[in-house]
This record gives sequence, C-alpha cells and structure tokens, in this order.
Amino acid sequence: MKLPDPVSYAVPAFVLLVLAEMLVAWARDRKRYEPKDTLTSLALGTGSTVAGVLTGGFAYAIALWFWQFRLFEIGYAWYWFVVAFVLDDLAYYVFHRSAHRVRWFWASHVIHHSSQHYNLSTALRQTWTGFFSLSFLFRLPLAIIGFPPAMLLFVGGINLIYQFWIHTEVIGRMPRWFEAVMNTPSHHRVHHATNPRYLDSNYAGVFIVWDRMLGTFVPERDDDRPRYGIVRNLGSFNLLWAAFHEWIGIARDLWSAPWRAKLGYLVMPPGWSHDGSRDTSETIKARWRERQEKT
Amino acid sequence: MNWVQLGGSVVAILVLAGIARMLRLGESRIASAADARRIAEESLAGFEARHAIVGTDGCAALVAGNGTIAVLKRHGAQVAVRRLTPPLRVREAVEGVTVETGERLFGAVTLLGVLPVDVQTLEAPLTLM
Repeated sequence: MKLPDPVSYAVPAFVLLVLAEMLVAWARDRKRYEPKDTLTSLALGTGSTVAGVLTGGFAYAIALWFWQFRLFEIGYAWYWFVVAFVLDDLAYYVFHRSAHRVRWFWASHVIHHSSQHYNLSTALRQTWTGFFSLSFLFRLPLAIIGFPPAMLLFVGGINLIYQFWIHTEVIGRMPRWFEAVMNTPSHHRVHHATNPRYLDSNYAGVFIVWDRMLGTFVPERDDDRPRYGIVRNLGSFNLLWAAFHEWIGIARDLWSAPWRAKLGYLVMPPGWSHDGSRDTSETIKARWRERQEKT
Repeated sequence: MNWVQLGGSVVAILVLAGIARMLRLGESRIASAADARRIAEESLAGFEARHAIVGTDGCAALVAGNGTIAVLKRHGAQVAVRRLTPPLRVREAVEGVTVETGERLFGAVTLLGVLPVDVQTLEAPLTLM
C-alpha cells in the first residue's frame, strides 16, 4: 500500500510557523532568534532531508527484509495505525534515551541539541548521520511484530510533525490534563536544557507518559529557567562542524585511547573518559548537588 | 523530495534568515561583570566565579574562578564559554586584547577596551598558586 509522506505536506506550515514565531520574538524578546543560528538550523534540516532521501531506501529495504519474518499479519485498518503510532512512539523513546546515553548514537543526535536557542527552527535542526549511526534498528522490532514498513514510515512522519510545535518558548504550559499525557513545549524545554537538574530527562516524542512510567520525567520549574544547548557549546555556526563534531571527537579518542578503553568511547555515555578527566551528566549533577547542599 | 522541493526549501531558508536579520533579531551583550560571573558558573560545572572583566562592547569577558579562568564570547544572542588554565595566551589587539582558546572553530576571543595588564591582574592570584 502506498501512503503519502506527511512531512512533505507539513513543510509549508513549518515555514509559516517559524515566520510567525519570529514576529512574536521581534515583539517580545529579540534574543529568541539569531539569524546565523536560524540559517544553520534550517540548512541542517535541509541536509538531513537530503541524507534521508539518499539513505532512506536502504533503511526501508532492511525493514522490508525483516518484515518477511513477521510474527503476525497486520493489515491497514485504521486501528492498526493507532496501535502502530503508540508503539512507534515507545520505540522512539527507547531510541531517544539511547541517543543521549550511548555516545555512538549521541554523535548523530547531538546536532539537534547543538543550538543555544530554542525555537521552531531548532526543531528542524536534524541529523545527517542517522542511517550511519544505525538508528533505524530501533524500529525494526515493530516490523518483526508485523507492522508494514509503509505504515511505520507514515506514523513516524506524524510523530515528527507532532514534535515540531513543542520546540518553542512562546507557549508556557498547556492544560493540566494535556501536560499529564502528552509531550509539550514545557516538557521538551526541559529535555533541551543544560541545567544540571534537567540533564538526561524527558525523552518522549509524543506521549510523556513513557518518561513518567520509566523514571526519566522532570518537570519544568519557574525558578530554574532552561538554558539550552549542549554541555560544551560549539561556539561556532559552522555547518559541517555542527554536523560532524562528535564523530570527529570519537575518531580522535579512538586513535589516542589505550586499547582496553577504545570500546568505552563508543558505547559509554557522552563525556565518559577512561581516566575520568571529563564531565558526564552524572558528574555535573553530583557537583551541582554538592553545591546546592553547601548554600 | 524532488528538485522543486529542494529548491523551494533553499529559497525558504534564505528568506527566513533574511527576515530574521531584517527584524534585527539576536542582538544581545554581556551586560556586566556580575552577568559574566553568573554565565560562567552556569556554563561550567563546579566553577566558582570571582573577579571578571568585560569588553566594552559586551561581546566578550574573562572570569577568574577556582583555579581556572572562564573565557566568554557572545555567540549569536547567547554566550559560549570555555574553561582555560592560566597563564592565558594573550596578545595585544587594535583596541584591546585577544585571548587564544586553542580551538580553531571556537576561535580567539577579543576583549575591546581591555589591556594586557588587566588580564595579568585577573590571573595573578591563580598563577601564584
């Protein structure tokens, strides 16, 4: 069955909403947007789409190959789309959590976090190396269960579109019932924040309930406004550096590390080092807690 | 994605970036020494800020801390920070001083209206340790 690509239809709306948010920033707080940062984000987004076109066929073919060994026959009835959407979002949670806790996956995902701004253009700052990092593996279990790859591609597109609007500071908080179940701008601001209290939390794509169930939920606090970016901000708008800096970091570490430590630089959390000379989110949180206790 | 969509995306990107520039979005500065100290502490785990000097244009600052020095530079509407170990590699610039960070893409940071002696005074307690 051929399904439409929902993201293609959403792109004009993305552009108009970015424009509208810029006008709000102009009226309220001009620091919310920065022309060079916006240019970098949008160019990274376009590059990601091109990379997706170049590699998407391979990922789809791999999913089709696994699908032939499916456990169940799942058709295209509307309720299967709903089930696929929910399970795909759970798979996204697992992927996303891994993307923050395993340096190999982080090297690809870090692009999305590399802006110090948080606005709708940040949502479009997407990876160029998703296929190379093997991120498609996280969706394969759904194909093995029996969900057709075309259906997975479709619901994945809807998931991506949902995640666009939560990248904003324009919206404060949604109604309480909505905040309880769905991922929202407030929850996702926390995810993008580098404040020690917020590091490594709120991995949800659409349903925040995954974080609540699996112990990674942290609410946004009015007395600790999120500061965005990565622990060691790039300080550069260079497009290629934004796209590849962590891969280059991995290559350098693999080259210089002793043999017994090399694997650690691939699979341990970002910031891990064999001699403990760098900061991980755990060490940052520990220092922060120590300081909080002192004051 | 076809060529029309790719071309349309590129045009949309340039238009949006142009509008952001036209609206003069992203203008900011490091407002004061207190501002610089706060940013340094927020950006660097375990950093305890003491004295700070800020360039007259608010685009850069140095903050002495507990054993290290934070170098701050305005990066768009935000500030990017690096932790450096004294003594700093400093050279005179046309209207101030330039501090080398050792990172090509982060670049050297120039503090306008600051003299080399100001930097030496800032780092003196750290280099004497």
